[in-house]
Amino acid sequence: MVEHARGLYDKKEAFSSYKLQHALSPYYKVALTTLGSSIYSLTETDEFEIAEKIKRKFVRQKRDKDAAVFSELHRILQGQKLLRNRWAILYLLHRLSGESTSKQKGGTSSTFFHSLSSHLVSTPFVSQHSGQLTTDGSAKIHSVTGSSTASSGISSIRSSFHSNDPSPVPQSVPPSYLKTPAGAQLLRGGQVLPSTGERVLHLLGRNQTDTTLMLRSDRTISTTSTSYRMSRKPGSSDELSEAVILRELVYVFRGIEGKYIKYDVTKEGYRIDAKAGIPRALRKAVAKLAECGWMYNQIWKYADSRSTDRAFGLVGQSFCDALHQELTEYYRLMSVLEAQLKQNDDEVLSDHGSELTVRRLAVWMCGPHIRLKTMAALVDVCQGKKGGALATAIHSYLQHGDPTVRSLIRHMLALVAQPIFSTIITWQYHGELEDTYHEFFVASDPTVKNERLWHEKYTLRKSMIPSFISLEQAKKILLTGKSVNFLRQVCHDRTSIRSRDIIRQTETNQVESIFSQDVNGIFQKMIDAVYKETSRHLLDILHTKYKFVDHLKAMRRYLLLGQGDFIRYLMDLLEDDLAKPPQMLFLHNLTSILETAIRGTNAQYDDIDILRRLDVRLLEVSPGDIGWDVFSLDYHVDGPVQTVFTPESMIIYLRVFNFLWRAKRMEYILAGIWKSQMSNARILKSMPELSVVLHHCHMLASEMVHFVQQVQYYINFEVLECSWDELLNKMNDAEDLDCVIAAHQVFLDTISTRCLLDKQSQGKWGVTETEERKEERRRKDFRHTMLSATKAQLSVLASSYQEIWPPSSSYAINLEQRHKNFNFRLDFNEQYNARDPKLRRSRVPHKTKRRDREEKMKQRSDE
Amino acid sequence: MADSEGKLSAAREAMDTIVEISTLLNTGLDADTLAICVRLCESGANPEALAKVIQDLQRESTALKEADSTVS
Repeated sequence: MVEHARGLYDKKEAFSSYKLQHALSPYYKVALTTLGSSIYSLTETDEFEIAEKIKRKFVRQKRDKDAAVFSELHRILQGQKLLRNRWAILYLLHRLSGESTSKQKGGTSSTFFHSLSSHLVSTPFVSQHSGQLTTDGSAKIHSVTGSSTASSGISSIRSSFHSNDPSPVPQSVPPSYLKTPAGAQLLRGGQVLPSTGERVLHLLGRNQTDTTLMLRSDRTISTTSTSYRMSRKPGSSDELSEAVILRELVYVFRGIEGKYIKYDVTKEGYRIDAKAGIPRALRKAVAKLAECGWMYNQIWKYADSRSTDRAFGLVGQSFCDALHQELTEYYRLMSVLEAQLKQNDDEVLSDHGSELTVRRLAVWMCGPHIRLKTMAALVDVCQGKKGGALATAIHSYLQHGDPTVRSLIRHMLALVAQPIFSTIITWQYHGELEDTYHEFFVASDPTVKNERLWHEKYTLRKSMIPSFISLEQAKKILLTGKSVNFLRQVCHDRTSIRSRDIIRQTETNQVESIFSQDVNGIFQKMIDAVYKETSRHLLDILHTKYKFVDHLKAMRRYLLLGQGDFIRYLMDLLEDDLAKPPQMLFLHNLTSILETAIRGTNAQYDDIDILRRLDVRLLEVSPGDIGWDVFSLDYHVDGPVQTVFTPESMIIYLRVFNFLWRAKRMEYILAGIWKSQMSNARILKSMPELSVVLHHCHMLASEMVHFVQQVQYYINFEVLECSWDELLNKMNDAEDLDCVIAAHQVFLDTISTRCLLDKQSQGKWGVTETEERKEERRRKDFRHTMLSATKAQLSVLASSYQEIWPPSSSYAINLEQRHKNFNFRLDFNEQYNARDPKLRRSRVPHKTKRRDREEKMKQRSDE
Repeated sequence: MADSEGKLSAAREAMDTIVEISTLLNTGLDADTLAICVRLCESGANPEALAKVIQDLQRESTALKEADSTVS
């Protein structure tokens, strides 16, 4: 027996060391002993472990490429089903590999002999495997196989069969060797001989089943398994088996029509073929499950068509992404279902009772069904929407009662809101608007120039405000970004705005705070804080760098005649020039006069920058005007301050200035008249007959003075000062530039209304053509009478003055309280009221009277 | 018959792969030797012991060759 076994090794050795030409019987013996001895215990019998070891070795030797090659080869090897003891082969190769050989070497031939002989002695030929066959090497091998194969996957199946079926051999091996193992078996003992044939047959048979099993466990759709299923459930003539229905359903879930469940175009959904033999009990469940397919189709179509559409915008893209994420989950479920279906087929042999049924599927699909339904609803609602509107649509679903749906919506909304949120952050922080697809609720008009940046460049896109952001918040966000832009572009301010970095850092990652504001106020707080800081910074810059308040004060002083001495002196200097017709006026002359006026008064202590901006302006000339009518002061503004002092508001300033200037001039003229009267009084004393006339004169003049003074008082104290105070208060409280602008606008509106310069007052003071003609005639008559006699003239003047006396309470009915005050002040002692109560109902417009008065005063002064 | 042919080609493929791994690992075994080793392994030989035998034999053969060369 030993010799027989040796025969096998004989051949092997003759082959492996075929270069040795000698008969090497001692080597056989030694080799046999070595192989037979159990001294070489195996530390690892796991294929994977060995493979890893080899790879590590490669890596250690810096042969990463080879490691990759090896793992590829190993993978191929694993694909081979013929080899069972792969681990053993790998182990062997590993042991023999270059390095280990050199490590183990080191001995010479003598040691070899020595060690071999020691083996011979120390380990008895028959080892301690006493329980098993003991007397020959091949039995040993078997025992080793039995113990080792247990751990290796596929080969373990065979472990009970004593693996000795013929292993595949490459063709290069001569056919004589092919039979070697079998031959060994045959040679092993007489009693084995008859059973060998059977065994081989058995193994072959087993091998086939094995293959099918392996194939199926590989989950490939194989013809075998299909045929299996078909053969398993032959079914009665038209009753479909459950497995078929399930397979149909799994396809339908992914929107693929089946044989029996078809897509019905007219009804838009998957319908079961009426003729299909589906048990009635299952029909309903199948129909409900088939809905999933339709919903899946809807979602998939939407997501697929939109995800390539670039114009759909970031918000839309993220919505598609969210949908895709959900669909991926769904796909996962599908693959699990499919796997389960496969297992169903496999488990036919062994009845486990855990196989997939339609009812079970209905239960499993419950959750996904709801999710799909929600998403389909979202897709439906979001059709044709983008940006903020899309987020609004999704947000409206957030308050769903079902917590699972709510969390789904919440998840999707978080994804959808992410681009909006980051846009808000960049907009607030950098003032940059990265909104290529017009989805953000702040719109920017690139054509607007810097001067109008604040007023016109940025607008709110109301339709794009997501519902979770209130209009107020949107406005604040708009203002913040606008302020940043204003600072950067108009104010050319590059300094960073303090205490905003922290806000940004703490806020960036909390998308959810944007749509759960009722739960946490982080977003609101962030907006408020950023808004406040930015606005404060902007106002600081305006006040310090651009001296906004100084400009405002300059307006008050020069255009609204706040600087009394300057105006008075200017009037003194200009008197001669302005009496000339406007054609005779030269801007450079007037400018130099203005310069003189500044030098001569307290105005010289003002900031040089402000004085430089002060200028003379000649208004448009209309026929009959004199210098006084066209003269106007002007104040140039530029830069950021222009945002507040817009051209429109400058026009109002000029109009108010014009009015005040005229009133001032009246006062100036009347003061002149009074002076001449005083000086004339003495000269004319010698003519007592004149005293009556003079008295009349005095009366008239003082009445006029009274009127003008009251007007002045009213304008100065009740209009200008009050409004000015209000404006300053508002300026101090102002939170942002818009507040300042609004306050300034209110200020201008108030003064123009109270000075009776607004449209409403003008309507009342207006002059129609007929009135004008009448006026002309009246003036002619007036001149005629004037020529006749001084006394008569004076009395006429006096009476006409009486006639045009304005205060009448009937006027005041619709007027503002201030106007009433004004009326009241004019007729404080009710002198006029007492004189002629009918005057109250006078219908002569005020403005006519005013002109009249001026006319008369001019005539008086001419005289 | 087709089955056995397929098996044969599969076996050849497996053998090729093993040879490649062997060269990668620099075992110094040629294809034929390897085939024998594989067969031994398949029939359940202890790879550790087999490795030992092969190493020893390789060593012997080189020693013999050296001796030959010195003699001649």
